[in-house]
Amino acid sequence: MLGKRPAIDTLYIGGGTPTCLDPKQWGTLCGLLEEGLSFSRGAEVSVEANPDSLQDGHLAVWKSWRILRVSLGIQSFSPSALRWLGRLHDARKALDALESCRQKGFWVSGDLLFGIPGQDLAIWHKDLQTLSHYAGHVSTYQLTAEPGTPLADEIVPTQSEGYPFYRFAQWYLHQKGFVQYEVASFARGGQWCRHNLSYWRQGNVLALGPSAWGYVDGLRYRNNCDLDGYLSQKGATASRWSERLSDDDRAREAAILALRTRWGIRWRSFRRHFGEKRTRSIHEILAGLPRDLFLRRQGCTAFSPKGFRVANAIWELLV
Amino acid sequence: MKREHIRNFCIIAHVDHGKSTLADRLLELTGTVDSRTMRAQYLDTLELERERGITIKSVPVRMNYKSPDGTDYILNLIDTPGHVDFSYEVSRSLAACEGALLVVDAAQGVEAQTVANAYMAAEQGLELVPVINKIDLPSAQPEEARRELEEIIGVDAHDAILASAKEGRGVPEILERIVRDIPTPKGHPEAPLQALIFDSIYDNYRGVICYVRIVNGRLKAGQSIRFMATGRECLAEEVGVFKPGMTTVQELEAGEVGYLAASIKTIHEAHVGDTVIEGGKTDSVALPGYKKVKPVVFCGFYPVVNEDYPQLRDALEKLQLNDSAIQFEPETSSALGFGFRCGFLGLLHMDIARERLTREFDVDLVATAPNVVYQIVRPSGEVFEAHRPSDFPDVGQIEEIREPYIRLTVFVPSEFVGKVMQLCQDKRGIFQAMDYITPERLRLSYVLPLAEFIVDFHDKLKSTTRGYASLDYEQVGFRAAELVKVDVLVNQEPIDAFSFICHKDAAFHMGQAVVRKLKELIPRQLFEVPIQAAIGKKVVVRQNVKPLRKDVLAKCYGGDITRKRKLLEKQKEGKKKMKQIGRVSIPQEAFLAYLNIGKDEED
Ligand SMILES: Nc1nc2c(ncn2[C@@H]2O[C@H](COP(=O)(O)OP(=O)(O)OP(=O)(O)O)[C@@H](O)[C@H]2O)c(=O)[nH]1
Ligand SMILES: [Mg+2]
Repeated sequence: MLGKRPAIDTLYIGGGTPTCLDPKQWGTLCGLLEEGLSFSRGAEVSVEANPDSLQDGHLAVWKSWRILRVSLGIQSFSPSALRWLGRLHDARKALDALESCRQKGFWVSGDLLFGIPGQDLAIWHKDLQTLSHYAGHVSTYQLTAEPGTPLADEIVPTQSEGYPFYRFAQWYLHQKGFVQYEVASFARGGQWCRHNLSYWRQGNVLALGPSAWGYVDGLRYRNNCDLDGYLSQKGATASRWSERLSDDDRAREAAILALRTRWGIRWRSFRRHFGEKRTRSIHEILAGLPRDLFLRRQGCTAFSPKGFRVANAIWELLV
Repeated sequence: MKREHIRNFCIIAHVDHGKSTLADRLLELTGTVDSRTMRAQYLDTLELERERGITIKSVPVRMNYKSPDGTDYILNLIDTPGHVDFSYEVSRSLAACEGALLVVDAAQGVEAQTVANAYMAAEQGLELVPVINKIDLPSAQPEEARRELEEIIGVDAHDAILASAKEGRGVPEILERIVRDIPTPKGHPEAPLQALIFDSIYDNYRGVICYVRIVNGRLKAGQSIRFMATGRECLAEEVGVFKPGMTTVQELEAGEVGYLAASIKTIHEAHVGDTVIEGGKTDSVALPGYKKVKPVVFCGFYPVVNEDYPQLRDALEKLQLNDSAIQFEPETSSALGFGFRCGFLGLLHMDIARERLTREFDVDLVATAPNVVYQIVRPSGEVFEAHRPSDFPDVGQIEEIREPYIRLTVFVPSEFVGKVMQLCQDKRGIFQAMDYITPERLRLSYVLPLAEFIVDFHDKLKSTTRGYASLDYEQVGFRAAELVKVDVLVNQEPIDAFSFICHKDAAFHMGQAVVRKLKELIPRQLFEVPIQAAIGKKVVVRQNVKPLRKDVLAKCYGGDITRKRKLLEKQKEGKKKMKQIGRVSIPQEAFLAYLNIGKDEED
């Protein structure tokens, strides 16, 4: 499947609820992966876990294998918010899960939602405070709904677009020693998720399993969404959808993705990859915008905290 | 059919007095439209007419009528609009008729357009048949209406027909009176062909379809014809009558009303008011035709997307074939690019034209604020017309500005007189006269700047009198006025499409309203956008659109990058619907909202 089997630098086992497998099944899975893949030294292996179905047994298996980070779907600690979201777990379960992961010595990552009806700054503060106590990596997302769904009617889009929450997270997590290394993610002590970064850097990503996304040298693809469909097709042909970007598109996308991160666009390497003309056009667009949206240092242009807050509006100029 | 058995008439009245409903009953009673296909205001076929419940365009229709005495008649009816903006439609229809049903609402009595339309018909020598309609209403006062017909209009109304178009009462009598009182058409079928084009519409397949009244001679399908004014010769491909749909016939003869299609594609080949004669003839006499109407209101129409300019021109040309009162010429705006300065007979006319362009011709357009025509006197004494604010020279180059005035006649129940006088005064009106028509109703007359009138006079009049007042106006020339041009700057750039002319005392107030409205409508951008109103170099109002604070939906996890890109592309597509002016994106509504500034101030 992997041909020459290039060494794997990061592995992310996600897709919702890997903890559906019981610890015994996990033992088998780890064995298979260890056998089928070859890992580079210091490879970053992360796993997604659900506070509901996470058992101590899982942690034990993971610890005995290569797993470095456990990523927990927290969303909120507020009982009313969890109820609104229809989550099965209560805040207690989430805290327990966080505590166990930390005790076992995993890097812990958690995500929080803002924009939930009824949420206010006090609740949001409490969420951030609690999570940042346990986790070295925090992602914040705004609750959004597909237009037309029942949810869409309930979430009233406000004038401020969740501005106070996002802004507060930027301010608060900075106080707590976190660095905003990506538009939605904050990490302490260098715990950024290298796996995610490889997406933003247009690194090669191999997709394993149904509905996973991959990217190899300019070809982006997505695997068949249902398991049977995925299994019935073999190897590389399991992709259900793919696109190959033109050089222009690739350059623009590279700029947009690079701007997601705190390292931003490194002009020299950008120019080397995409040529003078494409580089200049992107440079010109950014140069025409207010200066305080960017941090410019050592040949790089990255968003300032203020820039992160209006990222969509800037990216829109680049697509 | 013998000419003695043809009657051509139109139905005229004030707006909403029941013309189209009466036409329904006539169509029904003569069996022209069967009961299955009948619907209210059958002849109002335009989508906009049905939506707004008003007639916009005159519609001819032919009916066969068997009189109780056994005689067969052909009745050509033209239903006309009642709104003051469309009186040109009425005047053209009159030329195709020998008589008119003058309809008066029994509850409302004679109103301004009853008078105006009756006068026009009388001037054309038409026989008037008065009909007092809506007698079924509890508030109907038919005797009062009869008296007003006699005292205000001066027609003999002792035998005016009492009718209810809604219930069908009086309709058989109306038909009898039409054949009894309306003269048969004059003209000779054996004389050389002379036909008046009294209207036209554009059809995608057949080109321009001319509505014609044959005055002399015969018009046969397949014969060669000549349009006198344009000199174009061609074959009459199709000749027909309105039944009410277009139905072909072999020929039309003197006295008849029908249509003619001849693969005409542009207005330069055949236009309303022209005379159709036999091909190859040059010694015929042209029929009187129509006075060209002068537009009183102008505004700019611009395509939302610059590339759509040719489509807009095309659409305007076709609309003009449907509505000969519309005028347009190309103009350029530094803010909006290439577009057209269009002239209309009133605000409703303008609004209808804008909607028809969007709906029937499918062009997205931006309309600038309407204005009247100004006369500007230079220090040298030279006088020129300004059709748009950007025609105004620098203040130093202006000796005097003159604006058009109208004589306004308002019919109003006496209880509202005070309010109406106040309204006229607020609009810089100069009182002329007041007389009692009845103890309860008055006629007020004012001279007032047209510019003040076009903005929202009609709406205000309606709301202050709960719809009980009606009005008519005529232009009475230009008068000097203390006017200023107010420029609006967005991000330091003057936007010509936003400039407006107003009285010097209103400049600050209006500048403020405009700036406030724009501030509301211009979305936050990545930088602060100042909006200013200025007279010459002097800024009188300033407000800022604060920069965007947050726009980040990090709605793309892991590898789902394509989706994020699609979202961004969609977002960008949405912005394209906005006008990009300098670095600022301005939504279309900002241009349209202009029209409503006066109204919003009230709420
Ligand atoms: N009660 C009553 N209502 C009527 C009668 N005739 C017309 N109407 C109503 O009056 C309104 C206006 O009727 P229309 O026939 O559209 O009037 P119109 O004169 O053609 O109006 P415009 O073409 O816009 O000038 C409608 O709501 C009709 O239903 C009538 O005899 N009795
Ligand atoms: Mg009507």
